[in-house]
Amino acid sequence: MSISGGKTSHSEFGQLLGGRVGEGARVKTGIMELDEMLRGGFMEGDAVLLAGSAGTGKTTLALQYLVTGITRFGEPGIYVTFEELPDQIYRDAKNFGWDLRSLEEANKFKLVCTSPNLLLESGTQTILDEVIKELPAKRIAIDSLSHLAMYVQENQLRQEAYRLVRHLKTRELSSLLLWEVNQTGGSSFSVTEIGLSFLVDCIVVLKQIEIESSLRKAILIQKMRGSDHDKRLREFEITPGGFKIESAFSEYEGLMTGSGRKVASEKFVELFRGASGKTKSR
Amino acid sequence: MSNASETLARLLASEIRGDLLVLFHRNPGLIDTLDGVARRIGRTAATIEQDVNDLINLGVLKTRVFGKSQALLLDRERDREILETVAAHIKDTREGETL
Repeated sequence: MSISGGKTSHSEFGQLLGGRVGEGARVKTGIMELDEMLRGGFMEGDAVLLAGSAGTGKTTLALQYLVTGITRFGEPGIYVTFEELPDQIYRDAKNFGWDLRSLEEANKFKLVCTSPNLLLESGTQTILDEVIKELPAKRIAIDSLSHLAMYVQENQLRQEAYRLVRHLKTRELSSLLLWEVNQTGGSSFSVTEIGLSFLVDCIVVLKQIEIESSLRKAILIQKMRGSDHDKRLREFEITPGGFKIESAFSEYEGLMTGSGRKVASEKFVELFRGASGKTKSR
Repeated sequence: MSNASETLARLLASEIRGDLLVLFHRNPGLIDTLDGVARRIGRTAATIEQDVNDLINLGVLKTRVFGKSQALLLDRERDREILETVAAHIKDTREGETL
């Protein structure tokens, strides 16, 4: 670092702090449509809350984010699970063609299974420090923050979550924090009831929606600090290769309530088509 | 009794020890408290404590302290050595039986 006239410039401080000040580098998910929605990917070092009800694909998206990070962008990753045992995750990942055991043997991936209270322990050496010492990871997924709620009192949850987010940021990890929300049919949707939203930099919501008597899945970027992003709800499917994001639900409204209906203009077009069809058939 | 057969006998001395070995071998990334490990095999901390201590003495498991908690984890290197010794012993025993 060059110091001219005894002063250190802002950019030099940036380099000193790991080259992260004011950079805005992107961490690609590798899912092309999602990266487009995020205008290039998540911001490097950001804490991203991935919220959704059970069965919406949070674990699949988190694994794909880590596996793609390793295989396409050379960024090692850590997956921390509290409830599900690793052997179940290895098996499920293999169904998508992701061989996590091979990635672990190559020291590019680590699957850590622990209890939330152990992760929250703050000594001179934390469990994350122990893991990072063996694997210099760039990405991490924590499955899930909801489990922390079982180990800390409600009024302390936000404080503990804040401490965890700060710990991850200090270690320069781009993190995906999974959060399970209760989604009851027809009710309005809130990401977290305990005010975690302001702690994170980005919120991605996965949601099941009832349209014409069938359940479909939607993805939404609800918040992205310091960046523009796609504001539309887009349909997605979980295919044998992972996430596949389709077009936006442009013909429907009221989707955030869990039950979408066609917008008035679409209904009118359908009515018009129906009427014109009857006239022709006469 | 040879060292290897003694080790094998100690490894499989109880059902709980068998459950613990299966748990840690299938999930080598498991780092948990005694209570957490016990819960994962459907037991309580008190019932598995003795078997855990024996596996630590054998070198299969090791401990780490994080804050105020002690965590248990698989000692991958020592575990591999033990497995190789036991496998070689079983192979020798089988070959001896065939002769």
